[in-house]
Amino acid sequence: MGTGAVVGVLFAAITYYMLRRHFGSPWRVNHRMDMTNPHFVNVTLLCTMFAWSFGFLVGIGALIGPFRWLIGKDLTAEEQLYLAGDGQGLKRYFKYCTDHKVVGIQYLVGVMTLLGVGGTMAMMIRTNLVTPGSHFVNSTIYNSLVGLHGITMIIALIIVSTGPFGNYIMPIMIGAADMAFPRLNALSWWVLFTAIPVLCSAWFLGGIPTGWTAYAPLSVQAGPGMNAFIATIIIFALSTAVAGANITTTVVAMRAKGMKWNRVPIFVIGATISVALAIPAFPTFMVAMIQTGLDRTISTGFFDANVGGSGWLYANLFWIMGHPEVYVILIPGVAALMEIAPVFVRKPLFSYGAAIAGFAGIAGLSVLVWAHHMYMAGWMPNLNGPFMITTEFISVPTGLLFLVLVGTLWRGKPWMKMPMLSVYAFIWDFLIGGITGIYLSDVPADNYLHGSMFVTAHFHYTLMGAALTGAIGALAFWFPKMTGRMLNDRGSYISFWLVQIGFNVLFLGMFMAGAAGQPRRVADYAFAFAHANLISTIGAYSVGVGMLVLLWAVVHSWRSGVVAPMNPWGSKTLEWTVPYPVPLVNFAEPPVVTSDPYNYGRSSK
Amino acid sequence: MAHHDDDLLPTPGQRVGTFLKRKDVSQTFVLGAFFTAVFVVLGLWVYPHWMPNVMSKEMQGNEDIMIWFTVISAPIAGVVLAIAMESFINMHRGDTPPPEDGPGIKTHGPVVIIWSAVTTLFCILAIVWGITEMNTWSADALAGSNKALVVEVTGSQWNWSFNYPAQGISSHELNLPINQPVEFRVVSADVNHSFWPVQLGVKVDANRLATTVARTTPDKLGVFDVKCAELCGINHAYMETVGHVESVADFNSWVSQAKATGGTQQ
Repeated sequence: MGTGAVVGVLFAAITYYMLRRHFGSPWRVNHRMDMTNPHFVNVTLLCTMFAWSFGFLVGIGALIGPFRWLIGKDLTAEEQLYLAGDGQGLKRYFKYCTDHKVVGIQYLVGVMTLLGVGGTMAMMIRTNLVTPGSHFVNSTIYNSLVGLHGITMIIALIIVSTGPFGNYIMPIMIGAADMAFPRLNALSWWVLFTAIPVLCSAWFLGGIPTGWTAYAPLSVQAGPGMNAFIATIIIFALSTAVAGANITTTVVAMRAKGMKWNRVPIFVIGATISVALAIPAFPTFMVAMIQTGLDRTISTGFFDANVGGSGWLYANLFWIMGHPEVYVILIPGVAALMEIAPVFVRKPLFSYGAAIAGFAGIAGLSVLVWAHHMYMAGWMPNLNGPFMITTEFISVPTGLLFLVLVGTLWRGKPWMKMPMLSVYAFIWDFLIGGITGIYLSDVPADNYLHGSMFVTAHFHYTLMGAALTGAIGALAFWFPKMTGRMLNDRGSYISFWLVQIGFNVLFLGMFMAGAAGQPRRVADYAFAFAHANLISTIGAYSVGVGMLVLLWAVVHSWRSGVVAPMNPWGSKTLEWTVPYPVPLVNFAEPPVVTSDPYNYGRSSK
Repeated sequence: MAHHDDDLLPTPGQRVGTFLKRKDVSQTFVLGAFFTAVFVVLGLWVYPHWMPNVMSKEMQGNEDIMIWFTVISAPIAGVVLAIAMESFINMHRGDTPPPEDGPGIKTHGPVVIIWSAVTTLFCILAIVWGITEMNTWSADALAGSNKALVVEVTGSQWNWSFNYPAQGISSHELNLPINQPVEFRVVSADVNHSFWPVQLGVKVDANRLATTVARTTPDKLGVFDVKCAELCGINHAYMETVGHVESVADFNSWVSQAKATGGTQQ
C-alpha cells in the first residue's frame, strides 16, 4: 500500500506537471481554480486522477501477472503463495493480497469507512435543514454535500454485502478454496480503493453542484470538482465489472461436489444475480461519464442542446444503470436475511423456488423500467404508460420476497439475536418503501411526487431500511466467522433500536415534507415544512448516534469480544464447518454436499 | 391395520376448520385486522392532512391515488405484519439456540399461488387505475385544447418567467383564470429545471431548446406555489414564486394593466 501510494502520487505528479507545462497552471494566486479556460483544467485534472489510479496499481503490484505473461514467465507456486499473503500476519491486509478472506476484510473496512463519511455528510445535511433559513452551510457546500453523500452511499451500498460477505464468506459457502480469479479479486478491491481519494478530492476542487445523478447540462457547466466525480465513476465501474465477472464465474464453476443448483445457499444466489445485473448496468453510467468528460474537455456536445445534443440522452444512459443499480443494492441484502431467517427460526427457508423466482423476476424486470425516473422529463410522454406497466409488475416478484420471509417466520419461535432483529426491521421498512413505490410508479401520482422529498424518503426506505439493514444483519451473523469473536449483544441491540426508531422518525418526517410539497435537494425551505424537517433531523441524530454505537460494538468486539465457537448459530451452511482463523485453502478436505442447507425442522410433512 | 388410512384423513373442510381454531392462527387474524385498520386509517387521514390545497382535478387525482392505494394495499401489509408480529411475540430468548426445531414446512403450493395471484391482481389494479387516470387527463386536455390559455414558461438559473402569447404580456408572476384549461409550454434557458405548480398537481421538466407541455384546469380560487423540482445549481432552493388563480374579471384586469405598463408585469 505504501509503494502503491508513492508510485500513484508520483505518476499523478508527473502527469500534472507535464500537462501544466502544456496548458498552464490551473490554479490562480488566490488558491482557486482558474476557469477562464475550463477545458484545459478539466483535461489536466482528469488525466492526473487516472494517472494516480494507474500508478497506485503499478506500485502495489497489481499488474505483476500481466507483466510476467509479457516476459513469458508465469508466476511460480511459491510466488502465488506469497501473493496470497501466506504467513504474513497483519501485513497482508495492506498489500495486494489474493486471499479472498483478506479481500473480504479489506472491503468490510472500506465499506465502514465510506458509510462513516457518507453518514457524516447526511448529518450535516440534516443539520442544515433543522430550521428554515439555518445557513449552517452555504448553498454551494450544501449541494456538494447532497451529491457526495449520494454517490458515497451508493458506492458503499453496492459493495456493502457483496464486498465483505461475497468475498469472505461466499467462496467458503460453496465449498471453494478461493475465488475463480484471485488476482482479479484483489484487483477489484484495489481499483475501488484508488477511487476513494479521487472522490474525496472533489471537496478540494470546489465540490459538485449536481447531486449524484449528475444530470447534464448542469454537470457540463459545473466546476472542477465534477472531474473527481467523473473519474470516480469510471474507476468504480471498472472495479464492479472485474468483481462481477469473478463472482459469477466462481459460483458457476467452483461449487463443491454435490452442490447442485437447488442446493446453493440463497445468499450465494442473491449475490450472483446482483453482480450479474451490475455487469450490464454499470457500463452505461461509465459511458455517460466518458461523454460528460468529453463534453467538458473537447466540447463534443453530446448533451449540449445548443449544438444538437440532448440532456435526455444523459438521463436515459444514467437511468439504464440507475434502476438496475437499486436492485443490485437490494438483492444481496434480502438474500442475506433469507440466509439468516431459517437458522434462527429453525425452519427450512419457505419456498426456495419462490425466492429465486423473486430475485430473477426483479432482475429481469429491472432493466425494463428505467424511464419511470423520467415520467416528468417530457422525453417521451407516450412511453409513460408502458413504463408504468413494467414498473408496477415489479411488485409481484417483490411480493414473493415478502412471502418467503413471512413463510419462514410462520409458526416459528425465532431465536431473537441481532441478525434476526434485522429480519423484522427489514420487513417493516421494506413494506413502507414498497407501498410508497407503488404510488410513485403510477404516472399521475408521480406528477405530484416526482422530485419531491417524498421520493427521497421512499428510496431511503428501500436502500437504507432494506439493503443496509440486511447488511448489518449479515455483519452480526457472519462476524464470528470473519473475526473469530461474537459481536457484542448489548451494543448491537442499543444500536439497533436507536437506528431503527430514528430511521422511521427521520423518514416519516421526510414523507410529510414531501407530501406537503417540499422539493428534494433544497438547501432551504418554506416555513410550512418546518415541523416535518425538525422531526426528520431529530430522527437523523438518533440514527447517527446508533451508528456510532454499532461502530463501537464492532471495534470493541473485534479487539476483545467473546471468542466465538466454530458454529455459534447452529447453521447448516458450509462456512460454519471451517475453524477460525480460516485456513488459506479453507477446507482440509474438499467438502461434499448431500442436501440443501435448510433441512431444519421436525419431521418435514 | 384393519381400517383404511383414508378414514383418518380429514376432509379439506375439516382441515380449514381445525386451522382456523388454532390459537396462533386466531391471534394472527386479530393482528392482521389491527394492522389493516391502522393502514386504512393512515391512508384516509394522513394524505388529506399532509397534502396542500387541491386546486385542480389533476391534484385531486394524485391525492386519490395515494389514499386509495394505501387503503387497498392495507390487507396485504396487514397479513405480512401480522405473521411477523405473531412470530416475534413467540420469540426464544437466551444464548443458546431453541431446544427444538420448528415445523419443517418447505413450501406450500396453494399459498404461493394465492399470494402471487393476489399481488398480481393488486398490481393490475394499480396499472388500470393509472392508465384510466391518464386517459381522463388526456381527454380533458383534448376537449379543452381549443379554448386553452397558453402560458410559455421559461426556467433559467434561478427564476421562472411566464409569457402569455395570446395576451401579449410577460411576467414573473403566474396568474391564471379559474376554470379555464391552461397549457404550459415549458422550456429552459440553460440547465434542466422542473416546472412545478404545486397545488395544481402537474409537473414537467424544462429542457434547453425542447418544449415540454403540461396541462391542467385550475378550479379553485387562491394562491399556489411554483417551484423547481430539478436540482439546477446554487440557488435551486430559491427558484420559486407564487401563482394566483383568479376570477376571470380579475385576470382580465391584470392583463390590461400589464399591457398598459408596456407588456411586462413584475
